[in-house]
Amino acid sequence: MSKKEIYAVKGLSVPETPASAQEPKPWKQTQMVGKGIPRVDAYERVSGTAVYPSDVLLPDMIYGAVLRCPHPHAQVKKVDVEAASKMPGVRAVITGDTPEARVEWTYSKEARSSLFDPHCRFEGEPVAAVAAETPYQAEDALRAIRVEYDVLPFVVDERDALKENAPSVHGAGNVLKTEKYERGQVDRGFREADVVLEENYRTECQLHTPMELHGCVAKWDGDRLTLWESTQGVYAVQAEVAEVLKLPLSKVRVVGHYMGGGFGSKLKAGKYTVIAALLAKKSARPVKLFLTREETYLAVGNRPPNNMRLKAGVKKDGTLTALDFSCTGTGGAYPSGGTSLVDWLVRDLYKCPNVRTECTDIAIHTGPARPFRAPGHPQGAWVLEQMMDALAEAIKMDPVELRLKNIPNFSQGKEGNPPYSSTGLKQCLEEGAKAFQWKVARSKALAPGETGRIKRGVGMASCLWVVGGGWPPSTVILKLFPDGSLNLNMGASDIGTGTKTVMALVAAEELGIPLGKIEIEHADTGTTQYATPSGGSKTVPTEAPTVRAAAISVKQQLLEMASKELKLDAASLVFQEGSIAPAKDPSKSVKITDLSELKKRGVVVGIGYRGPNPENKAIIPFAAQFCEVEVNTKTGEVKILRFVSTNDSGRVMDRLTYDSQVIGGITMGIGLAMTEYRVLDRDQTGRMLNRNWHDYKLPTALDVPLEMTSLPVDREDSQANSVGAKGLGEPVTIPTAPAIANAVYNATGIRITETPISPERLCRLLAEKRKEG
Amino acid sequence: MTQKHEPGECRCSRGLTRRGFLSTVGAGVAVASAAGKLAAQPAASQGADVLPSAEMTPITLNINGRTHRLLVEPRWSLLFVLRERLGLTGTKVGCERGECGACTVLMDDLPRYACMTLAVEAQGSEITTLEGLMRGEELGGVQQAFVEEDAFQCGYCTPGQIMAVEGLLRAHPEPSQEEIQMGLSGNLCRCGAYVHIFKAAGRAAQLKRGQ
Amino acid sequence: MLPNFSYVRPKSLDEAVRHLDSPENRIHAGGTDLLGCLRERVFGVAKIVSLSGIQELKGITETAEGGLRIGALATLREIAESPLIRSKYPVLAQGAAEAASPQLRNQGTLGGNLCQKPRCWYYRGDFHCLRKGGDLCYAMVGENAFHCILGGDACYIVHPSDTAPALVALGATVRITGAGGPRTVPVEEFFVPPTQDLTRETVLEHNEILTEILLPPPPQGLRSSYRKVRARRSWDFALAGVALALQFRGEEVAGGRVVLSGAAPIPWRSVEVEEVILGKRLDAETISAAAEAVVKNAEPLAQNDYKLPLFRAIVEEELSAIAKV
Repeated sequence: MSKKEIYAVKGLSVPETPASAQEPKPWKQTQMVGKGIPRVDAYERVSGTAVYPSDVLLPDMIYGAVLRCPHPHAQVKKVDVEAASKMPGVRAVITGDTPEARVEWTYSKEARSSLFDPHCRFEGEPVAAVAAETPYQAEDALRAIRVEYDVLPFVVDERDALKENAPSVHGAGNVLKTEKYERGQVDRGFREADVVLEENYRTECQLHTPMELHGCVAKWDGDRLTLWESTQGVYAVQAEVAEVLKLPLSKVRVVGHYMGGGFGSKLKAGKYTVIAALLAKKSARPVKLFLTREETYLAVGNRPPNNMRLKAGVKKDGTLTALDFSCTGTGGAYPSGGTSLVDWLVRDLYKCPNVRTECTDIAIHTGPARPFRAPGHPQGAWVLEQMMDALAEAIKMDPVELRLKNIPNFSQGKEGNPPYSSTGLKQCLEEGAKAFQWKVARSKALAPGETGRIKRGVGMASCLWVVGGGWPPSTVILKLFPDGSLNLNMGASDIGTGTKTVMALVAAEELGIPLGKIEIEHADTGTTQYATPSGGSKTVPTEAPTVRAAAISVKQQLLEMASKELKLDAASLVFQEGSIAPAKDPSKSVKITDLSELKKRGVVVGIGYRGPNPENKAIIPFAAQFCEVEVNTKTGEVKILRFVSTNDSGRVMDRLTYDSQVIGGITMGIGLAMTEYRVLDRDQTGRMLNRNWHDYKLPTALDVPLEMTSLPVDREDSQANSVGAKGLGEPVTIPTAPAIANAVYNATGIRITETPISPERLCRLLAEKRKEG
Repeated sequence: MTQKHEPGECRCSRGLTRRGFLSTVGAGVAVASAAGKLAAQPAASQGADVLPSAEMTPITLNINGRTHRLLVEPRWSLLFVLRERLGLTGTKVGCERGECGACTVLMDDLPRYACMTLAVEAQGSEITTLEGLMRGEELGGVQQAFVEEDAFQCGYCTPGQIMAVEGLLRAHPEPSQEEIQMGLSGNLCRCGAYVHIFKAAGRAAQLKRGQ
Repeated sequence: MLPNFSYVRPKSLDEAVRHLDSPENRIHAGGTDLLGCLRERVFGVAKIVSLSGIQELKGITETAEGGLRIGALATLREIAESPLIRSKYPVLAQGAAEAASPQLRNQGTLGGNLCQKPRCWYYRGDFHCLRKGGDLCYAMVGENAFHCILGGDACYIVHPSDTAPALVALGATVRITGAGGPRTVPVEEFFVPPTQDLTRETVLEHNEILTEILLPPPPQGLRSSYRKVRARRSWDFALAGVALALQFRGEEVAGGRVVLSGAAPIPWRSVEVEEVILGKRLDAETISAAAEAVVKNAEPLAQNDYKLPLFRAIVEEELSAIAKV
């Protein structure tokens, strides 16, 4: 599944507003956009008045809970709910035997399943569900359900899954598919190289674990279903639930005004969504069903683990001659992109004529993957960026220099080799190195004679993200009221990136309306317009041009009104600061709020549609990150001292939320690099052992450096779209882990090829190195 | 112990005659709020009352300066009571295992996890939630600082972070950078806003000092 | 979600002991470990007996002899911030400060920290392991990167406390009250290794309450410190830790103890290190010998041999540091 398919529809033609002839020009100077203005919904988020889906309380509401298969592979023989049904407070129990619950479930197009599939292919598959007056009673009831399982042989490690006699996940072998890519003549490329290096790498499975649990509140009004769901895309949830429950789209309303993080794991509905709806139907009560934290580790996605190998050739002058990459990975029990986009950076980031990649996706008995912030990219970066570091060392070249030598100005990986609409990779590298004082820091770290146990090191890495720039479809409606206030109506979710704020800024910029007069309605299929889920760094570049188009439509209508009022040709009028005036005689202006037609009509409605992207252009965000670490060379403890991140994401739409994304991406990357990995009881039970936030360790406030600098390469990309933004959320986390690994190498001379860079691993490697002398 | 009960039709046999004035707490959110003594006072000679398992028992909680009398099961967490019975949803639920800090409240000025605190055990303490930091509809100093520094992204861990900072500043009005980091080390932020949260904590200290 | 239980908050110790008439009745001090165990169904519960209403279990006071009496309900925060403890017994203040998170330190008590259950993910998880009455220690051949390298026998947990090694190092004792009357036990003898009894972690009977911790007056020349290595800097148990409480005469180590955390099913007194350093100056040679001695008898499992160089490293580091104080 390509990243693009997750979020959007291909081959769609949509009306474009305004018409192409009136394509808005880039803003010359902005009043609102690009400044650091606090979020429009900050008050709600810090005061507690923001109602997240998990906060929803409805009269007569009861609580749902899901019983899950405790085995990685089992066949359900019998589910006995008799005792559970009679427990105190229990109002509904459903299982695979419940007629209404016999519905299809699609983990992926390739593999159909059912809601309560008796063939459980991973630990955490739902087996039954209950609703009760309190969540405590719901759990009491779950524990009273008796399930008979045929426990079947399992394989939970993709490295074991291809062995002879490995248990099969779907019958036949466990290889789901192998994807190959090749350009140029790789073998000849290696012959031309002065240095050829080859290395194996691995990145561990990372779990999303957003702060708000996955789940929803479901309520029926007759045949109409309303869901308050913690989601990145209300329309995606609507479509899935309507399809599964065979309801008209119009009868499924999904509301998700606020949501507590998703990182890709909430792009779609979950089985829990449908289960909540069924429990609500059966009990004739609103049902709140949020997973437990432990359940979110099992059943709502992950970043797949990947085993990778890269062979790379370089000439002494830094010219890359060949890259040969192979990888295996697993999206778990159902096809879900176990190797998706892992090879993309190898294909596209640096100039190289001869490239070969091969990716093999393997099925195992674990929960299916879901897209996780920049799918595939951090894994690929872990490999490529460490290899670049090693190549640079081998040819005695500065790592920044080596990268600068290999910057392409067109996409080598995309079909037709489209040129980049803009590329700021050079600026990212140069400005980042300068701000970081790379040369000074590096020479200090490399200085001889340091004998203490604490050693410093610096490292860097760069990246791109496969799809910037956003794309259709999207519809936004602006309503301008006679008092000059504005209502902005869009379907997109604000997953914490500041979407609402950026859209308000765009409307304010275009119409000259103060932020305080703009109100936003969003993320509600009942009242707001169609939008694809927020994710993939595409929300701002998709929605912002749409908002701008809607604002221009409002403007045009106001100009028409003013033209009648002033009895002048609309083409001779200009829009300025809440008024409209003849271009030649600004003194004869009329205030928008004085337009009599606006007063009579009560509102002007502007509709914006997201137009298509320019043809044959690759709209790509770029980034580079630099970091400094301190390593205790005896214990293997690593302290990250500082980070500089330079990003070319096109125009900076709002500096505050921009910087927040940058520091957030680095922090998440620190997690991947240092502490996060899934532990499965591989050889005994196949069950997950660290299904909680104590044993699965996210970085805490003491694990991040105080010094994190966000340095935007603030250049609007006028070819990309009408606001010039390319997207930011993914590239901020891609280069972090390899930058740290390179810094640790710089400090210790030890190349950490497998995540995490834990004291366990590093202490062992340091001891081995001392032994070798 | 095995007696069944139905929340919403409270049958607190041990307490109803004595405490018959209490309004019944159903599945909704309304609760009587009144001044009063601890509900489950022990009879002096026999020692403290044993609150029976799986039954609703009246308790009194002091939350944000108001006295709430309500019925709870002994196993209910303070978190569950705050959110699902009192509608104080500023306090968030992240793990219910004391591993994330989203449910941080102050108990007698000290940050605590509401998920790891039994509601019955919270009796006698002054509980402050995010809602309690508001001055009417105006934001408190820590909240204002979080707005200014954009110290959050999705905002779900934010109430807990704010309460942790509030607790820190009540103990250390002028915290060092190290004390700030340490004070926030019991609150996870998956969006990774820590660095901005540190700044907000510093700014909040200024705001609280009237700077 | 927690199972059902009844609840009582007695006002006196006697009353509390009377409520502990069944092994299914559980003591609630801070509650942080108890509620976690109940959520995971590590053990059953009928009644929770809360100690929070008993005033005599609180407070930190100096004893007439110049030692310290710490009520079992003193919170980890109080221990970490107590000026008395910080100045006289820094190892204990440091241990308390390194435990858990600020919120948990505000709630968790010193008594509870000593009585907490092991952190093995099989024991805490849905596995009927040996310690829970099953017939298999899953960690033996399973995922054992965080398990013990010393003192394991059939069960390979590590003791999770950061304060217990400090208390053993300082030669502290605990006071216990129960149906059979009060008794005093050295902290060193409070913990039960699996070699002795697989089903319990301490000598505490189900109807007994740990009431106070007694620290002897700090001996002349006492220097103490705690060092902990962990995967992340907050909210994490020790991968390896060492508590030192050494008496110096001049530059020579005249007495004291070296106790490890993250090493064994109980706070592990490293007699091997003590033997090397006793009567010696902590010069490079002695320190290096001590670092070798710390893991002399270690028997690492398949995934935790990193603890060998790790313990060597921190013993070396901490002995070097304490020599310079």
